[in-house]
Amino acid sequence: MKKIEELNESKLPIVKIDKSLGKYRDKVLFKEKVEKANETLKSVGLPKALQKSKA
Amino acid sequence: MMLPRYELKSDESLTVFEFVSVGGKGEISKIVQYSETNLKDFYNLGFGDKDLQTGKVDDTVISDNGDSQKVLATVAATVYAFTDKYPEAWIYATGSTKSRTRLYRIGLTNNLGEITEDFELYGQREGEWREFVRGVEYEAFLVRRRS
Repeated sequence: MKKIEELNESKLPIVKIDKSLGKYRDKVLFKEKVEKANETLKSVGLPKALQKSKA
Repeated sequence: MMLPRYELKSDESLTVFEFVSVGGKGEISKIVQYSETNLKDFYNLGFGDKDLQTGKVDDTVISDNGDSQKVLATVAATVYAFTDKYPEAWIYATGSTKSRTRLYRIGLTNNLGEITEDFELYGQREGEWREFVRGVEYEAFLVRRRS
């Protein structure tokens, strides 16, 4: 079993589950950002490497 | 080298995270959310300050709590947690202002070696996605966990 020190040094964080945060799941908290993301992905498209792999 | 970061809480879907920034302005609750875009497997990363009285989250407020590096390291940790659960996900991120986008770019630059070990990293510039390199201004960022 890993020691606490090893766990704290891991890139993958320890995340405590808090069910109360589920209230945000169906809400888009950053609507403008998501809209901007959608506009960008539509106008700029995908990275070339991904375009090639999907071709 | 592991940067200091705050403890994280999340819901079971690992799409919404919360942590508490502690600094000169006291304790500020922060929310990170991964929201689906119109494109399958593409998610927007947003984060902001939670108003404890109203529950509303604001990504435009300047907290100025003196811990921006620790906050960014904590947000970066959520990227690891999220992509661990959703390995096919692409994550789009940009700042609510140009100066914030620049702050994120600096953070990415300062940790570039470590980040690119685990992620593909792109920056948006002049209408296209380019592999992220140091010293170049970008308008937005896109990352995907390496398989």
